[in-house]
Amino acid sequence: MSNKNEVIPEYYEFFNSVKIISGYKALETISFELGRLGAKRPIIITDKGVAQAGLIKHVVDSFAGTDTVIGAVFDETPQDSSNVVVNQIAAIFRAQNCDSIIAVGGGSAIDTAKGVNIVITENTDDLLKFMGNYRLNKPMKPFVVIPTTSGTGSEVTMVAVIANPEKNVKMQFTSDLLLPKLAVLDPRMTMSMPPKITAATGMDALTHAVEAYIGPQKNPVSDAFASAAMNLIRENLIAAVKEGSNKDVRLAMANAALLAGLAFSNSMVGVVHASAHATGGICHVPHGIANSILLPYGLEFYIKKSPKVKALIENLLLPLAGPEVYVQTPQAERAAKSVSFIREMAGELKKLSGLPMKLSEAGVTEDKLDEIAQATIDDGAIAFSPVEVSLEEAKGILKAAY
Amino acid sequence: MKEARDYQEIMPGKKWFATLVTRVFFYFIGMGMQTAYRIDPDVKKEVDSWPETFSFRMAVVGGPSMLMLKKEGSFKYLGEKETFYCDVEMWFKNIEFAYLTMTARISVPNAVYHNRQFVRGNLKYMISIIRVLNIVQTLLLPNVIARFYIKEVPKLTFKKLVNRAITYFNIGYGAIK
Repeated sequence: MSNKNEVIPEYYEFFNSVKIISGYKALETISFELGRLGAKRPIIITDKGVAQAGLIKHVVDSFAGTDTVIGAVFDETPQDSSNVVVNQIAAIFRAQNCDSIIAVGGGSAIDTAKGVNIVITENTDDLLKFMGNYRLNKPMKPFVVIPTTSGTGSEVTMVAVIANPEKNVKMQFTSDLLLPKLAVLDPRMTMSMPPKITAATGMDALTHAVEAYIGPQKNPVSDAFASAAMNLIRENLIAAVKEGSNKDVRLAMANAALLAGLAFSNSMVGVVHASAHATGGICHVPHGIANSILLPYGLEFYIKKSPKVKALIENLLLPLAGPEVYVQTPQAERAAKSVSFIREMAGELKKLSGLPMKLSEAGVTEDKLDEIAQATIDDGAIAFSPVEVSLEEAKGILKAAY
Repeated sequence: MKEARDYQEIMPGKKWFATLVTRVFFYFIGMGMQTAYRIDPDVKKEVDSWPETFSFRMAVVGGPSMLMLKKEGSFKYLGEKETFYCDVEMWFKNIEFAYLTMTARISVPNAVYHNRQFVRGNLKYMISIIRVLNIVQTLLLPNVIARFYIKEVPKLTFKKLVNRAITYFNIGYGAIK
């Protein structure tokens, strides 16, 4: 009889209450769903890029013929959301008598919208009071998320990160109340994504699924979502980069990112994300690109350091590379094969879209590696690494990836 | 069939022993942190990286707590003092979880992975606090036991043994005082 913890952990928690609506013309369901929640006047929160790509028009048009009125469209969300922008949007929400929030975009627009929801619900302008876990108690305003990238999974996560530039604090909020009521995946919203962003966000989703699958908080529910995400990514990511106008492939990738989000928001992420957050914070490397570069090196670190994690990476080969590759690979080679499969996929994406495979190709300079290593071991994600990571080991991962 | 008025409320019992054990361990950890700041350069480096005035509380929801305060170059254990505001608070959701963790039946990392605790405040400092707690636990406990509490136990050195003796002396002295 095997150790019971290999299959069922001695204890786990899994929570997600988001209603998922996925498919063609999915946007057209939002008005009905908002009505069920007692809302008829949403504010749309997005960014300039999304607005310029014409994606807001799809959303606004989807309300035609309904009694829903768009209270306001805020399209000036910056790349790094801050409490200043959150308070500015909250003032618009109140002035326009809005009753619900629709976030359209990637991580920044979604996190900003979560911040606005806190400010409106708690009737405050000081987000600092709510930092950390379980600080929110009141039911939030109806909140809908329409992702325009297929990577972050923020549409199903209960976390928001918002900067406070005045106090120089990156405020993190975690609460199941932050979860949207609806996540709407409509292929129209991701079709205009350029190949390089499609590749980077797809690898971000893959990193979420992989780290969720080997993380110490993994459980049968998160494993199911992570495996499903990896299967979809294997079958659709390259195709999404090659033929961006293919609706089926786009919808599959949107689902993959959502499934990976469901998995990692409960199972958490480890050293790859910790080093990617650090690389992004210091050298401004986009999160998906940093994850894509660091994922194979993070896995190699785990393989060398922990036989237990190595065994999980061996199992990873099945959802990652598919059943044929899995059965043809002897068990002793499966962990290394998982890593080489990810490298091959990243290599193909590099050829197709110019996705960097080394930190040096992403604008990181060697003199920054020590600083990134220190920020890696200070990052919150490191607490969820299945093994301890020293400063020297973090440097080793970064040097190998450089 | 019972009448509605026949139903009576049930008051659950108290967990005196688990509360006592947790309170004792909180005292050990608090005094351990205070001593480690003075004798362990790694702990000093971590604590010095926090803001000039900084408070940290470890507590159980509805149960015992311990408060640490960094102020004017010192890092002190203030016991079970109530505060209006704390920079970082680590809460166990139930006394049973704290008791299981303190008695090494759940490791500290597992308490985190299982969501049996949660953190309030600026999470940026939590990782540094965890590193300090790890070092304190290696000072308080023999390596053979410490491995049940933390992910990776550092090698035992003569210096560590001396520091362990100093820590225990301070804990004992603090208790008598």
